[in-house]
Amino acid sequence: MKNLHIDCPCSTRRDFLRRGFYGLGVTAGLPIVLGRTSQALAAEALVDREAAPNRILVVVELSGGNDGLNTVVPFRNDEYYRVRPNLGIRRDDLIEVSEDRGFHPSLVGFERLYKDGVLAVVEGCGYPNPSLSHFSSMGFWHTGVPNGGEKLGWVGRFMDNHTPDGGRNLVVNVGNSQSLAVRAKVHSPLVFNDPQRFHREGTDAELDSLARMKTSHPSDNAQLAFLRSTAENAAESSAFVRKAWSAYRTPVDYGLGGADLRKVAALIAADMPTRVYYVSFSGNSFDTHVHQADLHARLLMYMADAVRGFTEDMKRLGRLDDVSMVLFSEFGRRVEENASLGTDHGTAGPMFVVSNQLEGGFYGGEPSLTDLDDGNLKMTTDFRRVYATMIDEWMRHSDTASILKGSYAPLGMFT
Amino acid sequence: MQPAGDGRMIGALPSMGKIAVCSCKHATRRASTRRRRSLRAALLIWVLAAALPATLVAAGTGAGPASWTGDLTPITRSDWTYDRAAHLMERAGFGGTPREIEAIAAMRPAAAVARLVRYGAIDNSGIAGFDHSGIFDPGMDPFPKSRAEAVRIAREKGAALGVEVLPDGSARPLQPVVDKFFYGLRADRLEAARLGQWWAQRMLATARPLEEKLTFFWHGHFATSDNKVRDYRMMLVQNEMLRSHANGNFRDLLMGIMKDPAMLVFLDNGENVKDHPNENFGRELLELFTMGVGNYSERDIREASRAFTGWTNDVLDFHFDAELHDFGEKEFLGRKGSFDGDDIIDIILDEPATAKHIARKVYRFFVSDEIVEPALAGLAKHLRESDYELAPLLETIFLSRDFYSPTAFATQIKSPVQLVISTYRRVGLDTLPTVPDFNSLTGSLGQRLFHPPNVAGWAQGRSWITPATLLQRGNLTREILFPPDLEAFGAPDRRMPGIYRQVGARIAEGANITTATQVGDAASNMLADADEDYNTRFGGYRGYLMAYERVKQIPRHIADLDLHLMMRQAGVESSADAVDHLARRFLLVPLASETREALIEFLEVRLEGGELGASPATEEALRGLLYLVLSTPEYQLG
Repeated sequence: MKNLHIDCPCSTRRDFLRRGFYGLGVTAGLPIVLGRTSQALAAEALVDREAAPNRILVVVELSGGNDGLNTVVPFRNDEYYRVRPNLGIRRDDLIEVSEDRGFHPSLVGFERLYKDGVLAVVEGCGYPNPSLSHFSSMGFWHTGVPNGGEKLGWVGRFMDNHTPDGGRNLVVNVGNSQSLAVRAKVHSPLVFNDPQRFHREGTDAELDSLARMKTSHPSDNAQLAFLRSTAENAAESSAFVRKAWSAYRTPVDYGLGGADLRKVAALIAADMPTRVYYVSFSGNSFDTHVHQADLHARLLMYMADAVRGFTEDMKRLGRLDDVSMVLFSEFGRRVEENASLGTDHGTAGPMFVVSNQLEGGFYGGEPSLTDLDDGNLKMTTDFRRVYATMIDEWMRHSDTASILKGSYAPLGMFT
Repeated sequence: MQPAGDGRMIGALPSMGKIAVCSCKHATRRASTRRRRSLRAALLIWVLAAALPATLVAAGTGAGPASWTGDLTPITRSDWTYDRAAHLMERAGFGGTPREIEAIAAMRPAAAVARLVRYGAIDNSGIAGFDHSGIFDPGMDPFPKSRAEAVRIAREKGAALGVEVLPDGSARPLQPVVDKFFYGLRADRLEAARLGQWWAQRMLATARPLEEKLTFFWHGHFATSDNKVRDYRMMLVQNEMLRSHANGNFRDLLMGIMKDPAMLVFLDNGENVKDHPNENFGRELLELFTMGVGNYSERDIREASRAFTGWTNDVLDFHFDAELHDFGEKEFLGRKGSFDGDDIIDIILDEPATAKHIARKVYRFFVSDEIVEPALAGLAKHLRESDYELAPLLETIFLSRDFYSPTAFATQIKSPVQLVISTYRRVGLDTLPTVPDFNSLTGSLGQRLFHPPNVAGWAQGRSWITPATLLQRGNLTREILFPPDLEAFGAPDRRMPGIYRQVGARIAEGANITTATQVGDAASNMLADADEDYNTRFGGYRGYLMAYERVKQIPRHIADLDLHLMMRQAGVESSADAVDHLARRFLLVPLASETREALIEFLEVRLEGGELGASPATEEALRGLLYLVLSTPEYQLG
């Protein structure tokens, strides 16, 4: 296993801080502290040919269409206040992070990340011929193939390409149902919501019989074959997840919206061999058509608290160097506010990447508020460039073109 | 079963004794149970009487030949078997007991299907209406959209939600308004859960299974969630509207839903006004309810939305606000005119894409995920030619060879609601058990009645199954078969989330409101005491207490099961017989032989080689066996 930090020059305070835990820890025999399980070791053996075997990607979905313009506000732009006479956030209230951009006042959690240089904002993310339908657009972000009729998810295709012989639990999706984003040909993502209930109940005699019944019988009935293989996966993974969750204790406060990221932290703490975690702020909650100010403030606060809490937790676990997060929503909202003090479905919006291995700041280029496409922002950055960045620069997997079905230049975000 | 109070019986069969004691506490429930029993019995008698005499039912034939896929030709008498009747009962309803299935199998297929589809004449008067707790006090309508709005109104008018602000100088003068706001939210949530349970009971006991199944289908198609509507009364009005047109004409349904208060609120159409059309309503009408994506432009969405401006609701009634309606000319799908909503609906129904989209949705729900193109075209044409009458479409589908082909037979992953209701029906229950809690059962599997995840409804099919939900499906059946002790059962309709229990505990210890409501250091947790005029978290806590006081508690009782009796009635003599009977009763696909062996061995070991005599040990063993059968991947298929 290659330790990447040995040859990284420790020239800045941040570098020193980030090496503090893990860089030193590994050479000082941290594996014992982390208590690697045999499962994790097996997964490492499987991927040892790769350049960044410890790296983990956490994808966070903000479903419903986040109002990007009120998330990262161009406060020097008069046009912003003209189109948002009621919803526009006054400069005094914003958290100013640059010459001309301010974060929504609820993004206190993001402010700290930004000041630590571990938050990248990629502005104007979208795709050609944008759809204003939640379901179509979310499907396009999930598959990474807008208007393409693709059946598999981009995370799924990444994992298939990255580890073509398969492997257990390399993708985990926290949620009640499986996201299209993780649908793969080879891999079957582990999907669960409540780790405490993720186990089979029964007396010893019942469990013994169930184990005997666990057949890998082929079947002509494709649904039955699918159910049987899922049952097998469940039997193998559930004990690990449950143990990880019951062993997990954290002093970190994730706020009111951090439940799913805590589950991710618990699995990382237990050395689950997972490479990509997928979580969602679901239920279309970001769909703020009416009276959005209070609701949007709350949503952003929950989100930023959870992301910051998770980052703190990774620091506590000595895994900060190993984990990056990317946040997205299926579209931004219309530039002009509507008559109901809300905003309607729009197009481009900002994505966020959190990692202590990146160069913090703004990427992608600010979309114009005057040169619009039928009242909607013209994208400046194809979202697949951000996917390519995460695959290539973060996961160190170069074959982005076949995964994303086209060539998308990474953004040069990771140092 | 012996009546409660029979000490001998309770002593002999502890688990059944508990049931007896429990049902004795609910005498009225028992009366209504009897009424429902007679309803289902009446259905059976009718069916038996209608059956031709001396019918021989072919056994053991499930799916038809592969060539049946896509073939809409009606099946004939000789194609009709017990297994196929079981398949029909599962899809066009919620399954049934062997007796009910045999009765259907004894009819001619066309008569069986007609009976299911054209259910209007079947007496269903034993079904009870919803018993309201009465949670909406004067002044609570219309309910404010947010706590912030309630506070704004209170500041302006000195009162909101029918509650007055406290006099100047009081500590937290707005607290009563905030308390009442949270009361409204919590009470509605509890009442909506009672409503979900009421519907589930109806699904279980109805004499018209397809009526409920169709209502359930339309609930997913015109998905509306009480999470946003926050008014269970509107959800009930919608449910009744969907039921009243469930097998009728699609145009009536569509017109009904576009004027439905819950839907108008759900899609914010109150905000869709002249000069500022809100596109949500128009978009979902075209994309999800009628034509499907790709058959219209963004401009069509905007023009359609204009036609629905001013369509709003006055609490539980549709209200047309002419002041807010845009009477101007619209250009929609290539036609011009000063259209209103009704015109738009008629233009949409004229589009072939609409019939195709609806036929596909019906097919996907009742038959299979995939449909071959010629069959879809045939069904869509049928729907258009019958002017969107639904009964003929349903009859064609349920009678077609395609419906009994290998791509359709036993290939559907049961939805959580289907799984739970059909399990209850298969064991012969007609009173819904409330331990475990129905909404919690289906909710933990991803489906709560009156709470679809979004306007697109439930995704269905494989999306129900994850490694976790698959285990959970088995575990939940175990909770039904081995229910927790009633004393220990924490009723979800009286279980406060931890954070509020903590507030209550701190107050009980003598803490003041500020201290009692402070937890954690994340920014969102600081919100609790952000305002001097009221404390949000305390309001949240008070809201629970007030709601618990008002909303009727769900009476708790476990499943009224007697597997030993079930076996005796089925003439079961050996462990192998028992396994085979349960497999036939619960599964549409045969068990793998090694699974069958494992099950037989399990039962033999549990019975210690003994007979299937009437004893608590037998009952326990049979329940264990049934748990194993219901935990198989096979049982997830319907």
